[in-house]
Amino acid sequence: MSAKTAAGTVKERAELALNDEFLRKAVKFTTERLRNGKKNASAEHGNWDEWRERGRQIRLHTIAHLDYYLNLFVENARANGVHVHFADTGADAVKIALEVARRKQAKTVVKSKSMVSEELHLNHALEGIGVEAIETDLGEYIIQLAGETPSHIVIPAIHKNRYQIADLLSEVAGEKLEADTTVLAGFVRKKLRENFLEADIGMTGCNFAIAETGSMVLFENEGNARMVTTLPKTQITLMGMERIIPSFRDLEVMATLLPRSATGQRMTMYMSAITGPRRTEDADGPDEMHIIIVDNGRSLQLGDPEFQELLNCIRCGACLNACPVYRHIGGHAYGGTYSGPIGAVLTPALNKNVAEWDDIANASSLCGACYEACPVKIPLHDMLIYLRRRKVEKGHGNKLEGAGMKGFAAVMGNAKRFRAALKMGQLGQKLVVRDGGIRTKLGPLKGWNSYRVTPSLPKHTFRQSFATLDQEIREGLKEMSPDIRARMEAAVKNRGNAGQGGGHGHG
Amino acid sequence: MGDAAQEHRQWLEQMEAASRAKQASFMDGIARKLKRPRVTEAPAHPLRGAPDFWNAFELTPEERIEKFMSNWQSVGGHPARLADMDAVRKFITDKAKEMGAHYLIRQNEPELAALDLEGALPEAEVSVWNTDADVHWKARSAEADFGVVMADYAAAYTGTVTVLSSKDKGRSVSLLPTVLMIIIPVGRLKTKMGEPLAELDRAGRENLPAGAHFISGPSRSSDIENDLTIGVHGPGIVYALIVG
Amino acid sequence: MKVSLFITCLSDAIYPRVGEAMLRILAKYGVRLDFPTVQTCCGQPAFNSGYWDAARESARTIMEAFEDSDFVISPSGSCTGMIHHYPKLFENDPVMRAKAEALQAKSYEFTQFLVGVLGVTDVGASFPHKVTYHPSCHGSRLLGIKDEPMALMQNVKGLEFVPLPFAEDCCGFGGTFAVKMADISGAMVSEKVDHVKETEAEVLVGLDLACLMNIAGNLRYRGESVRVMHLAELLAEGAKLA
Repeated sequence: MSAKTAAGTVKERAELALNDEFLRKAVKFTTERLRNGKKNASAEHGNWDEWRERGRQIRLHTIAHLDYYLNLFVENARANGVHVHFADTGADAVKIALEVARRKQAKTVVKSKSMVSEELHLNHALEGIGVEAIETDLGEYIIQLAGETPSHIVIPAIHKNRYQIADLLSEVAGEKLEADTTVLAGFVRKKLRENFLEADIGMTGCNFAIAETGSMVLFENEGNARMVTTLPKTQITLMGMERIIPSFRDLEVMATLLPRSATGQRMTMYMSAITGPRRTEDADGPDEMHIIIVDNGRSLQLGDPEFQELLNCIRCGACLNACPVYRHIGGHAYGGTYSGPIGAVLTPALNKNVAEWDDIANASSLCGACYEACPVKIPLHDMLIYLRRRKVEKGHGNKLEGAGMKGFAAVMGNAKRFRAALKMGQLGQKLVVRDGGIRTKLGPLKGWNSYRVTPSLPKHTFRQSFATLDQEIREGLKEMSPDIRARMEAAVKNRGNAGQGGGHGHG
Repeated sequence: MGDAAQEHRQWLEQMEAASRAKQASFMDGIARKLKRPRVTEAPAHPLRGAPDFWNAFELTPEERIEKFMSNWQSVGGHPARLADMDAVRKFITDKAKEMGAHYLIRQNEPELAALDLEGALPEAEVSVWNTDADVHWKARSAEADFGVVMADYAAAYTGTVTVLSSKDKGRSVSLLPTVLMIIIPVGRLKTKMGEPLAELDRAGRENLPAGAHFISGPSRSSDIENDLTIGVHGPGIVYALIVG
Repeated sequence: MKVSLFITCLSDAIYPRVGEAMLRILAKYGVRLDFPTVQTCCGQPAFNSGYWDAARESARTIMEAFEDSDFVISPSGSCTGMIHHYPKLFENDPVMRAKAEALQAKSYEFTQFLVGVLGVTDVGASFPHKVTYHPSCHGSRLLGIKDEPMALMQNVKGLEFVPLPFAEDCCGFGGTFAVKMADISGAMVSEKVDHVKETEAEVLVGLDLACLMNIAGNLRYRGESVRVMHLAELLAEGAKLA
């Protein structure tokens, strides 16, 4: 994958998105629906933080022992009759998938939703060798017809309205279809049924892989992933190398967290655990099953204390729905396969290419809503800062900003200079203050003042007034009650271990 | 074995050899990045599965039925509670007549055979999964109006049914027909999904079916303008018949 | 016991009245705030932008300024939150890291100290106005300040509290974000102000001056008359301490 799949900077793309009224409303409406659904579902279930912590622990444990669990998975999958392949890069994975398609003389591949496949741009590669790849998830199918990429992990066609969709599907149907959801979905059902039954290969992603049994697990609502794993003679599954969990009991925790976080459902309509190709006497399921285990930058996070937790992600999309920036600019503005807060961190982390880090990491106010929403507690807001720091450390920071920060250090490292700077502000503002506020759109205040009026500085800073105030306070100071004194002493005494933050710990 | 098949087998063997060769370096690479030697023994995993408070949670049989039915209903499914298999036969035949179902397909299970749907619906064609090697069973399921299956397990808390595949139990039967009838003997209805999942762990790799499917209602999508549509790919009408 | 005021840049330069309000409220309970004048900025702008060397300069100054204090109280969840990042800033320096942890352990946002330590939830204020509250992200999410301001407001006589729709949404400030991504930030603050207007409140209160300056700036830009206050100001005014 590349950070440069879309033209321009995040800022430029965001501006386009901000000016697209339909897009903004659609994204806002959808994310609000999903976000409220998640809130209600997690509240209804109860003990949500304990579930999150358990989910996090299971993911942490698995990733910390990934060589063991992945190897166990591979051995078990092979014992089940699966052909397992390893791909270091996206290109390797594509090569293996194409090779299978060629060997099978495939004409058509039906696909269920897979973010890894998006990451590899696999459809394009299949078309290149004359194989028709058909996305079968309703949203993905629409996006494919439009020749676009998903703008949301869970709801890929979030940015399309029913009229646009009716136009796209009418072209396939060869007749005008009514812009009615039931009519449109009914058409897709009928159309894709034929494809499912005729396709040579079914291709899927993988939500979780069970190490102890070699099973792969898919969550979905439509039933298309079941079709893809039941009907074609050959199945190819693309799996990120970190998708592993140890056991089915661990899957219960993931099944508790994933649907609730993604869509607010107690459970998706289908969860399927596929353990190998069909048994000899079975009359459905694939004859031949391949699993391609994809690295493509994932292993670069291993052993990196600041980013290893990225591999805990279960791709629920809750951080997108919670993110105020995502809600305003939509997924395409991020310019990569993965959007929203997870995309802002994952895209540069998978690429590990500092020069191309672009300004994705800057497209966040660091409000922490992503962390709060994350079912496995990935500290994305902290990771964004680490990314920014690494960019600066590698000398790819903005030159002007870098110079400014040197000045910042000089001023903030010394109270005298700090006082002088405040003084300069009080004098300098005289040029621009009108009616107690600053409205100029020149220089650094341009962006800020396009939406706001900047307050003017008061006559005296706090530090200039403190001595007088303190004098007055001392004179009128009430005597401290024994109760309050005791409470303060207890607070100091109970601090105990450093880093506990005085009973007000860091999320 | 024909030449093409022979050649394909050889290619698979080559790929397998390449994969095995790659496997060691792939795992070593992970260990190296984690800055420690390869882990080859199972690590202690004390936080396996759900928290203790959850494992202790249990509904009474009556609560399970109530919870399952309300969940099934809330996602657009149709639950019913029936006294015995005679009532099930009546329910299915009545629905088949009411909806004008001509083609039915059922799993090859003794409980379903005992229903004698063939006798109860003489004008309909009832197929039994995988009982004739010459039939294209996937296509037969796709043509069916009704699919009839037994649940292997069900979980009340999420309103989920588990169906396991075998030579007598097609994955297609619960997937391709327009209407799905799932029969749940009350003894198979558990509180939580963790219970059937633990059964899969207990069974172990060698004894797992190729497909274990957890179904929680009708096929659905909200991909077009957040508008909920039922029956996008899988069955849009699903009956859960709790018996006993 | 030495209770020190960590004034923070915005209160020092633009909103000194908030520092003054804190002084007066705490004095009511016999707490005199000490003010080490060597303090500067917490270093957050540099830290968040990735300039950690510059951030360490700030952090060192702050750590020295409050070395002898038993409590360090600030009018900002965000700046106190920044102090929670200090151990990370010095993770490779055991001596400084220990100092950073010690400072973290004794740092409190104003309401955390007032309610959590002193046990005060009623300052004897009366404020007969319709008030809504914006919980700033760093204070509420990272420091977990949720109940303290609510408890304080509940005990203000005459105060009619109106919940803010989508209260937990970020106001769009985000430090340099507001400059670097001005249009996204502008869209966010505009939405926040739409929600404030929906409440028909006369007053918007909060615990973080950066967010309040951001929201107030947009309110003023749009010609809205909603009054924006730090909770300390509201309490001091209501208790006739101002």
